[in-house]
Amino acid sequence: MMEFFLANQSVFDFFLLTLGFSYSQQIVLRSGVFSLASAAFAALGSYGCAYLVMRSGMPVALGIVFGALIGAAAGYLTSVPLARLRGVYQAIATLALVEVTVAVALYAEPITGGAVGFNGIPKSIGTWQLLLAIFGVGYVLYAMSHSRIGRGFDALRQDEYVAASLGVSSRSQHTLAFIASGLIGGLFGALQSMYSYSIEPHQFGFGFMVSTLAAIVLGGRRTLMGPVVGSAIVILLPEIARPLAEYRQIVVGAVLVIVVIYAPQGLADTFIAWLSHRKTDASAKTAAHEITGGSNGHA
Amino acid sequence: MFAQQVLNGLISGAVYALFALGFNLIFGVQKVLNLAHGAIFMTGAFVSYYAVVAGLPLWLAMLVAMAVCAVLSVLLDRFGFQLLRKYSVADAEFGALVISIGVGQVLTSVAQKASETKVLSFPFGTFPVEFYRGMGLRISLLQVTIAALVAVLVVCLAYFLKKTSFGRQVRAVAINPRASALLGINGGSVFMLTFGVAGALAAMAGVLIALSFNSIQFLMGEPYMLKAFVVVVLGGLGNLGGAVLASLLLGVAQAMSAAYLPPGLSDILIYATLFVVLIFKPNGLFGGAVAPAGVGRQ
Amino acid sequence: MATLELKDVRRYFGGVKAVDGVSLRVRSGTVTGLIGPNGSGKSTVVNLIAGVLKLTSGEINLDGTVISAEPADNVARRGVARTFQNIRLLPEASVLDNVVIGFYRLEKASLMASLLGLPSSRRESRELRERGRALLAQFDMSAYENVAAGGLAYGYQRRVEMMRAVASNPEILLLDEPVAGMNDVEARALGKIFARLAEDGMGVLVIEHNTRFVSELCQEVHVLDGGRLIAHGSAQEVMRDPAVIAAYLGN
Repeated sequence: MMEFFLANQSVFDFFLLTLGFSYSQQIVLRSGVFSLASAAFAALGSYGCAYLVMRSGMPVALGIVFGALIGAAAGYLTSVPLARLRGVYQAIATLALVEVTVAVALYAEPITGGAVGFNGIPKSIGTWQLLLAIFGVGYVLYAMSHSRIGRGFDALRQDEYVAASLGVSSRSQHTLAFIASGLIGGLFGALQSMYSYSIEPHQFGFGFMVSTLAAIVLGGRRTLMGPVVGSAIVILLPEIARPLAEYRQIVVGAVLVIVVIYAPQGLADTFIAWLSHRKTDASAKTAAHEITGGSNGHA
Repeated sequence: MFAQQVLNGLISGAVYALFALGFNLIFGVQKVLNLAHGAIFMTGAFVSYYAVVAGLPLWLAMLVAMAVCAVLSVLLDRFGFQLLRKYSVADAEFGALVISIGVGQVLTSVAQKASETKVLSFPFGTFPVEFYRGMGLRISLLQVTIAALVAVLVVCLAYFLKKTSFGRQVRAVAINPRASALLGINGGSVFMLTFGVAGALAAMAGVLIALSFNSIQFLMGEPYMLKAFVVVVLGGLGNLGGAVLASLLLGVAQAMSAAYLPPGLSDILIYATLFVVLIFKPNGLFGGAVAPAGVGRQ
Repeated sequence: MATLELKDVRRYFGGVKAVDGVSLRVRSGTVTGLIGPNGSGKSTVVNLIAGVLKLTSGEINLDGTVISAEPADNVARRGVARTFQNIRLLPEASVLDNVVIGFYRLEKASLMASLLGLPSSRRESRELRERGRALLAQFDMSAYENVAAGGLAYGYQRRVEMMRAVASNPEILLLDEPVAGMNDVEARALGKIFARLAEDGMGVLVIEHNTRFVSELCQEVHVLDGGRLIAHGSAQEVMRDPAVIAAYLGN
């Protein structure tokens, strides 16, 4: 058992990193913002941390904190112009942002190392730190979901006008979502730079977006369990389907399409909803019995 | 050679226009961000390559490519986007994006397999290499052909949309799908047509680009997707004339920056411009459909 | 105890004068009616008050505080609640969650408390759910607590919307065609609830088509036609006004 785990530890670590990035992506979608900017936040946190640690001699822990803060600041800055946009326009704007970030990382060679990126980063982060980060972020996200903020996000996502009529400020809540997305993305970007020996710009481009979106789509957008299941699928699919490894991209693409059409809530969320439906169906049946004979009479 | 750069830029802008028009058409009619469009463009180039290698004359190969991509595009709509109609707007938008990413991945991987990750080139002599000189400028036969083809196509498309009744139906659906349905317009055939036309245009663009650079590889569609975004935003959503203008502008701007600026900077400038325009004029420089805003008093 | 006041409010859409000089008051403790034929501008008035539309000119104030330029969420936070003509519930959320979101403007938990799951935030969430359940019991909807709001029958959806609107104890309640599609029995039951809310201090503005309902319920009635007020007074006076009769028949 132990050998199995040790042999696959790096897979588990990548699962944790993917999960972290998925949470960064999920929180904005949860509040109704169609942002795909997590890759940019991750890039900024990653490069920021790597630069501070390697070029300015900052201790690793502090570098990670700064990476997260840089991400948060980027999230805030993104929220300002994006407050005026909705729907696919937000998507386009954030896609452009991701591309600009990759382009700048490629171009600003003196700072970022250009296409080669940062190499020879001392490995200072292991499984335990990643787990700690996941649990920390997971706890905050859980607390948030069950609080005033989570309620506001859910309302905004489902119907922005109704939410406004109840006093929910889309401006402030969307800003909060962006900051959270930036913080989480920057944090895990920094963790990644301190985990892998090198980082390079194309890591934070289209491929990053596809894998975090896949994790959310496959697992679920609404619950915290969703990205856990989704990330597991995204990471494990190439491992399990070794014989299919050649066709991995095709399989992932096809699975994405099928899931989005037939299980749009994601596999984990659909399962959770199905479970709770069975409970409410039972209680609604007894309710219907009571109502039809009762004093109200009409339906 | 300033004027030469402008000329080259206009020609590449013309090709962007082909690509962007299809993308814009889909976006305008269905409000869908079709990220698979780049992969379809690439597929067009691939199909034409294999057709030429199999012995077909170039013009026929291009027609075959256009047909294949039109069909592919329609299938993407029928078995992808249409199945999302039952969901809420936000869910459908997200789902459409994901589907287009998925299909794009599938197409790209198939192409990668087929080409064994190699860069392909058309056999020598596929298109005659001839140059013309005049007024201090140099233009190739290919460039002339591109300009002519694109001009003819744009004119046909404009005529079709403005003057034919089916074209009017397309515009009606773009403006208000529900009202159009009430008026008896068959949304299904409108969508089929827009996707088919978009696919064909993308294929043609793919073949022309493949000829221009004589290179075909499975990732060739990606940079064009992003250019399409820029064109859609600058030109205005649904504004096809604006899309053509914006494409030409983009082509010239790119040629300029490639000539006078350090490499890599031009991409940054283009995306930054996109970002800025989107923030301050979301309905584009030339006016297009209004982008939905937030919940401030209207 | 608040008074909502509209002073010569106008809203033009290009050449169309949807609302053309409307002045009225909604006093706390009363139920005021706003009636008029289709297209007279009633819903536009609601949207102007609620912060959805800009005023072309005029003023809307709440106890003297001008709210004409405030966006919808600010207006809501000042204690003006509204319902929608075509019911807008949060479709994915349960009935209880739909009601609990009605308490949003009253929530006091700080940002930190919410993010860290501190006891103050958790306690507040718990209390809100209890209050929500109490409200459900009041409206005889306890059995539907966990049912997704999108799947309910029309009448039940109306109840959920009502609960959501009154949950935060608003000063002013704007009801946009609250009894549309209901029979007399149902409408009267709902009317009793509105009357009780007014007795408890709320100022209620009812926009309705159903003139009988309005005349039974409202102390004061305004009649809108073509964006202008053509009559004002008690229900009985207004119903006998020849201008009002003409407006309705001539439509």
